[in-house]
Amino acid sequence: MEGCPRSRETCPKLLDLIPQERKWYHDEEKNNSDQEKKLELRLAPPGGDEEDHSAMKKKKNLDTRNNIKKEAEDKPIFNLSGNHFSPSNKTTYAPPHISHKRTAPGPVVGWPPVRSFRKNLASSSSSKLGNDQINKSGEGEKQVEPKREGMFVKINMDSVPIGRKVDLNAYSTYEQLSFAVDKLFRGLLAAQRDASGGEGEEKPIIGLLNGKGEFTLTYEDNEGDKMLVGDVPWQMFISSVKRLRVIKSSEISSALKFGCSKQEKMRN
Amino acid sequence: MSEDDEDQSPASDLRSQRPCSPNKSRNCISSSQTFPDHVLENVLENVLQFLDSRCDRNAASLVCKLWWKVEGLTRSEVFIGNCYALSPARLTQRFKRVRSLLLKGKPRFADFNLMPADWGANFAPWVSTMAKAYPWLEKVDLKRMFVTDDDLALLAESFPGFKELILVCCEGFGTSGIAVVANKCRKLKVLDLIESDVTDDEVDWVSCFPEDVTCLESLAFDCVEAPINFKALEALVGRSPLLRKLRLNRFVSLEEVHRLLLLGAPQLTSLGTGSFSRGDQSQQEPPDYAAAFRSCKSVVCLSGFRELMPEYLPAILPVCANLTSLNFSYANISPDMFKPIIHNCHKLQIFWALDSICDEGLQAVAATCKELRELRIFPFDPREDTEGPVSELGLQAISEGCRKLESLLYFCQHMTNAALIAMSHNCPELTVFRLCIMGRLRPDHVTGKAMDEGFGAIVKNCKKLTRLAVSGLLTDQAFRYMGEYGKLIRTLSVAFAGDSDMALRHVLEGCPRLQKLEIRDSPFGDVALRSGMHRYYNMRFVWMSACRLTMGCCKDVARAMPNLVVEVIGSDDDDVNRDYVETLYMYRSLDGPRKDAPQFVTIL
Repeated sequence: MEGCPRSRETCPKLLDLIPQERKWYHDEEKNNSDQEKKLELRLAPPGGDEEDHSAMKKKKNLDTRNNIKKEAEDKPIFNLSGNHFSPSNKTTYAPPHISHKRTAPGPVVGWPPVRSFRKNLASSSSSKLGNDQINKSGEGEKQVEPKREGMFVKINMDSVPIGRKVDLNAYSTYEQLSFAVDKLFRGLLAAQRDASGGEGEEKPIIGLLNGKGEFTLTYEDNEGDKMLVGDVPWQMFISSVKRLRVIKSSEISSALKFGCSKQEKMRN
Repeated sequence: MSEDDEDQSPASDLRSQRPCSPNKSRNCISSSQTFPDHVLENVLENVLQFLDSRCDRNAASLVCKLWWKVEGLTRSEVFIGNCYALSPARLTQRFKRVRSLLLKGKPRFADFNLMPADWGANFAPWVSTMAKAYPWLEKVDLKRMFVTDDDLALLAESFPGFKELILVCCEGFGTSGIAVVANKCRKLKVLDLIESDVTDDEVDWVSCFPEDVTCLESLAFDCVEAPINFKALEALVGRSPLLRKLRLNRFVSLEEVHRLLLLGAPQLTSLGTGSFSRGDQSQQEPPDYAAAFRSCKSVVCLSGFRELMPEYLPAILPVCANLTSLNFSYANISPDMFKPIIHNCHKLQIFWALDSICDEGLQAVAATCKELRELRIFPFDPREDTEGPVSELGLQAISEGCRKLESLLYFCQHMTNAALIAMSHNCPELTVFRLCIMGRLRPDHVTGKAMDEGFGAIVKNCKKLTRLAVSGLLTDQAFRYMGEYGKLIRTLSVAFAGDSDMALRHVLEGCPRLQKLEIRDSPFGDVALRSGMHRYYNMRFVWMSACRLTMGCCKDVARAMPNLVVEVIGSDDDDVNRDYVETLYMYRSLDGPRKDAPQFVTIL
């Protein structure tokens, strides 16, 4: 797969997921405090908050450890020689009060180290051959991040270099999500088309869920599988979605090449 | 399974390409002056044929050039621990008569989504090279490789005598590839798909086996997430008189297992029971499942239970007394359901289960299974903040009851140093100790101290320990113990542990037999990495992700060690000037860096 420039000005291939995947990768490890920070009012462009990755990553790691250690500090005897946690790192990163809100550190990629086929036992144990019904009863949510705060996932759109974030907790149906996607990207898409010589008129982005529009909404789940949005009950979707992508409807089949069989599995 | 490395022979390859030392060459020359070379070769061939062990063969090949050559002619089974350590061409150049290949690809942490897909480990170049070089190939055993349907098709076409295909933790293929293998490999004895990701191509692969009597001895497809044609399976079992091992997937119901058992139960030694639930609830009277299991006189290994209906579990009671291996790790079994079953399993040596059996269940295991060698307890609900049905109590009980324990994998939420210390004294035969305290950085939950002393005791007292995975709150002290006492440790897994570079230094400067090192999310940086440079050539691989490494240091290592492939994976953006290294994966290679690295991999 040829490289796609980081700036994403041209995204010729539908699924140049390799640079995307790296970013997604990072998102897995970003915990809630990182997302809180992004909510803060700032003058940078929407995609700009992701520039300073390396520094943030380092601090994120330290901060995660800070958060975890706070949780672990039940016993007063426990005292780590935390000489690698310089106080300055704490204050320059996420506001400290946020870490106290959570009762548990955010989930981390690949931890606990259990292979994916073992991870869904809690939700599928009472089902025969993977019945969707069971998931409606809420068992599928066992691995969900706490929903008290916003549940932000990245969303990218083909031919639009700037990605956005959506708070999935703000919606309870696919229609609401679809509407939000239209609001998020309508202007950006028009601007992009205008810049590349097409018509710059703003057109609503519709038909995201039924395959009839110019674009279709897809997502990547916690196992890395790519799926069409709208097939599973909303709660199940929420519990497994990790990022969203709006792709051209014409490229659905190749986009989901790796995901289609998993899709079948999900439906079963 | 011994872990001795084929990789040691590449090292010997390097050596033998230098001119023989004077002593050696004198001996060689004098031998060939006394006897014609080909006579000596023949003699050697006949002798070396009897050498089976990899280790012995590697040693023999180092004696002199002649031995190296003859050993290369007579080695029929080749083990390659890292598919990128050498090229397929080198394999076929050195070993001329290979019948069996065992090949491993991705590093283990790839299983936990720590590495993007499409990283590599493609089987394609291997199968295409071997297709020309080893038409007599009989066995291929792959672990964590990317195998496509085309690869399987090429395999099926190229090796007329092909007998055994074993795919462990592989992916990239589907039921259509399996169908081709089933159809074309007429001498197939073993088709084992284990924990692999098999795409459902909606192909009826079971019907693709040839219509006459088959040579099948082992058929394992429990990981295949696709329905199968049961009638075809029944017919297949009926015409496979040599079938000993049958592991069904979750799409096979209890009634269907019942029918299969009536067909071929007496010969079966290993049975994977499929879903273990009733497919057809409409019948009032279920068949007599216990009777079917009673006819399984030879079954010693039982697994499956993928969607267990617990009311039918007692049906397996008739086979319990014979069982040496029992895998309940897909079944959410409560202690009350479990205890009557395990109470009969006196001969059990290998036991895998979910933590739903609780400490109480483990106590029952300890009371009955005195011959236990291997125990694996997986989490039913793998999250960090759950209650945790198993704890140090279960571990303590096991250590007191199962003194012959050799291998442990244990997931829990809380642990104490005391339990680990007790186990280190009670179970001196331990070679594999993998403890995963799921809450990161958790100390001993009774004393509040770090888990240093517990793991320290394990490495100190378990003198046969070769594999260790640590967790919980660990300071540099734990690593000091590992470095000092871990004399036989070959594989070490570390996550969220240690305070400073000193920890990793202890390990790299100690642990003389260390081969495989995998570390994530620990504060180890450049100083630590540099401290191991004297030994990276003698290791299979080093994995460090989310640590404190800089690009500059990795480049230095790459420069200083030309035969080491230093891969940096997924570091931010395309900008190689970014200093922070997200994931480092490095390994020795005889044939330089690989040509198939995807874009997110930078080879320094």
